[in-house]
Amino acid sequence: MAEMSQVSAETSSQANNSPSSAQATEGTRPVYEVGFHVVPTVEEVKVGDVVETIRAVLAEVKAEIIRDQFPQKMTLAYTIERSAAGKREKYTESYFGFIKFAAEREHVAALEAQLRSAKDILRYLLIETTREEPIIARRAVYSSNRLEGETIKKPATAPETPGEVSDEELTKSIDALVN
Amino acid sequence: MQPDSANIQISHIDYKDIETLKRFLNPHGKIMPRRRTGLSAAGQRSLATAVKRARFMALLPYIVR
Repeated sequence: MAEMSQVSAETSSQANNSPSSAQATEGTRPVYEVGFHVVPTVEEVKVGDVVETIRAVLAEVKAEIIRDQFPQKMTLAYTIERSAAGKREKYTESYFGFIKFAAEREHVAALEAQLRSAKDILRYLLIETTREEPIIARRAVYSSNRLEGETIKKPATAPETPGEVSDEELTKSIDALVN
Repeated sequence: MQPDSANIQISHIDYKDIETLKRFLNPHGKIMPRRRTGLSAAGQRSLATAVKRARFMALLPYIVR
């Protein structure tokens, strides 16, 4: 409850456009990221309009945009199907973009409602993330000596050459084995 | 004995970074086990979440035949 009252106090002070309080809220507001696919049927020049509708919602709630990427055409890893107006639509490619922003928790629902209702948005993913960029693995996959390197081979041995054995030696050796 | 992978620290993997994520998948598109990736328990959980998000967004396939 104490935290709630503190947040509301900060929000109200931000409304007064005090620069110091605005800086304070920037650090405390949760950071979100919305990734979205725009349907490929939208003309390339009109993709910007779809992004603008998302940005307009964010601007309405005074969200701080941290990073974004304009939607770029990409081939999907699998075919996405969706039913629209009684028809099944199949998509194998789309325009994929994302926006990372900081906003108040209660304002995120408005954005999600907008994304859900937008017909030009094929799919979206809204997640809570961190302000910092993710750390990329220094070395991705662990591999021990057992799994890496050359295959251990059997030491090459000289093939045994059958030498000539005399009949006497053969009978002697047979006798020795029998006895 | 600590394996070499003990110093691999992944606090957060981005689901959009599919090139990194692909290195943790086997040829069928399945997430490699922790004994193969060498990640910490938290890192492996973070990886699994990122892969599942990438799959949902059709950046990675669910299965490769």
